[in-house]
Amino acid sequence: MYSLTDTENLLLSSDEEEDVQLTPAEVIEMMEGAWINEKFAPEILPHRSEIVDCLLAQVTSMEENIQGLDSSDFKKSIHQLEVDRLRFLVSSYLRTRLEKIECYSTHILKEEAERSRRGEESYLSEQESVFARNFSQGLEFYFDKLLNFYPGLPTESWSSRIIEPNLHSFIFVKSKTDVEGVIIDDGTDGDDLADFRAGTPILISYNSVSGLVKKGDVNLI
Amino acid sequence: MNPDEAEFLGEKQFISIIPTFNSGVVHLISGDVGPFRASLPTRVPLWMAINLKQQQKCKIQHPEWMNVDQLERIKEDEKKDKFFTKMPSEQYMIEAKLLLGCASDDVPKADDIRTIIKDIWDIRMAKLRSSVNNVLKSADSYAEFKNLTVMEINSIRPILPHALDQIYRMKINKHQGAQSTTLSTPFRTSTSFSNLS
Amino acid sequence: MYGEKGFALIKELSRCKETLPPYNTDLVNAVSNEIKQLLEQIKDAQSTSDNESALVTAGSKISTITIAHAGIKRNLRCLLSYHYNRIKCLRTMRWEFGSILPADIKVNLSAEEIEWFSKYSQMLASYMRSIGDEGVNLAIDMKPPKALYIEVRCLVDYGRFELTDGSVLLLKKDSRHYLPRSECEELIRQGVFQHIV
Repeated sequence: MYSLTDTENLLLSSDEEEDVQLTPAEVIEMMEGAWINEKFAPEILPHRSEIVDCLLAQVTSMEENIQGLDSSDFKKSIHQLEVDRLRFLVSSYLRTRLEKIECYSTHILKEEAERSRRGEESYLSEQESVFARNFSQGLEFYFDKLLNFYPGLPTESWSSRIIEPNLHSFIFVKSKTDVEGVIIDDGTDGDDLADFRAGTPILISYNSVSGLVKKGDVNLI
Repeated sequence: MNPDEAEFLGEKQFISIIPTFNSGVVHLISGDVGPFRASLPTRVPLWMAINLKQQQKCKIQHPEWMNVDQLERIKEDEKKDKFFTKMPSEQYMIEAKLLLGCASDDVPKADDIRTIIKDIWDIRMAKLRSSVNNVLKSADSYAEFKNLTVMEINSIRPILPHALDQIYRMKINKHQGAQSTTLSTPFRTSTSFSNLS
Repeated sequence: MYGEKGFALIKELSRCKETLPPYNTDLVNAVSNEIKQLLEQIKDAQSTSDNESALVTAGSKISTITIAHAGIKRNLRCLLSYHYNRIKCLRTMRWEFGSILPADIKVNLSAEEIEWFSKYSQMLASYMRSIGDEGVNLAIDMKPPKALYIEVRCLVDYGRFELTDGSVLLLKKDSRHYLPRSECEELIRQGVFQHIV
């Protein structure tokens, strides 16, 4: 049988290094925020694999507990439903990231290399980095084979045009607190400013708020 | 974001149920709910309430605002106000759909309520359409949508963001054209991942 | 006209939205040959200009080279686009069908596409295995989980059916049942049950 203390212990142990104590509810809240941000941001965002791992650990543990419950116990279906919901959440988050990695593999690897050079944190998790490199190589191999029917083809014109995300696409944001003086990127060199009121949905180009999104000051909706 | 996903998020909202069973506290990953005493109201997430209702283990207590009088008042306010009024719940459409869908026997005058909510939605949608029109005409790069709920925002995706993206490209081209004679950068497609799984 | 065959490749692909048409080896080879021809043209134009009077022939040589170059770029673009879009479609199929493709799709693929698919499948499986402690199959849980209980109609005289909790149902044709979704999925897939929405 499971008990509340089991859940608490799990959480503490996975966050020991960070010295931050989060309730499972808070972890779920953060996962949802990360999921929605990733859905709507045109570029790939910094990974939240600590949250993913933490939530998956909770889910697997709960699944073990559910096995022990009687099938006719209605609570079993409740727990199963919650588990299904959380699995969907995590899977959808990871799938969205995979799609971006596949779509923009060359661009993302380039940016990651630059981040590494500057000593900044990677946006991709370790597992995603491995996948990204494999995927990129797979494509390169395939297209090199395709084009070697005539050595010396002028391929630089296409290999230099990397598919990049459209960072000025428009998204909806909401901030939790008032934020003042956000520079609106409108394609000209103008520097119009906007003040965001807490809780009000705002439509703006992603460029203008990407920093705020990554810091967690505003959320995409 | 597709309707299923919006509903998924909306289902986290808490609601009161009246259980027909007795049980101790249920330790969900997202927190504890209960204990459950038959005939005594207790609060649970909407997804759990619907599930229990389907297993015929509870009645659902409709939210306070889900009554004909209050909704009529909200409808009148919405008609009179030029802007969007603040709805009693961020998830009003989702709560309405789920409750009227599987627990309509727990909602008095369910049909009337269904109609009034639809009317409110229609009024807000009409305002939204003219808002969108104004945003496009003024070619702003920034717009506020105070008091708009997520379902309503979803209804103007992806068309409004895409339209503004086109306007942005035109502005950029005009700006760069004025500055230099070189060709502008090739168009990159605006890709939205909000509809993919 | 140069580039027509390349364009034909693209048109073929755009006609088939749902599935992949057979890999058009002949047309692809034709486009590659056209590219080779154009490259030869450029080489010829570049070499003969050494022997002839530069002023007289420079103009026409430049036009020949420019047009050939444009033709090559156009053909390359069509070729690359054709292959890239097929790969994208294949990718979607990995998510729909798993790592083993149905025979009627496989027969439409080139050997290289099959090779790419197999590699993609492997790297994907490898990634999924590496998530969390035990791996996560990302190809399931594609939609938010909905009502746990669904109503189904039995389409055939199936006979005895044992549920996971041990209870036994007698499934006769046209009988309706209210069952947990997970119990029904397999039978719905097999065509025994019809989900009543």
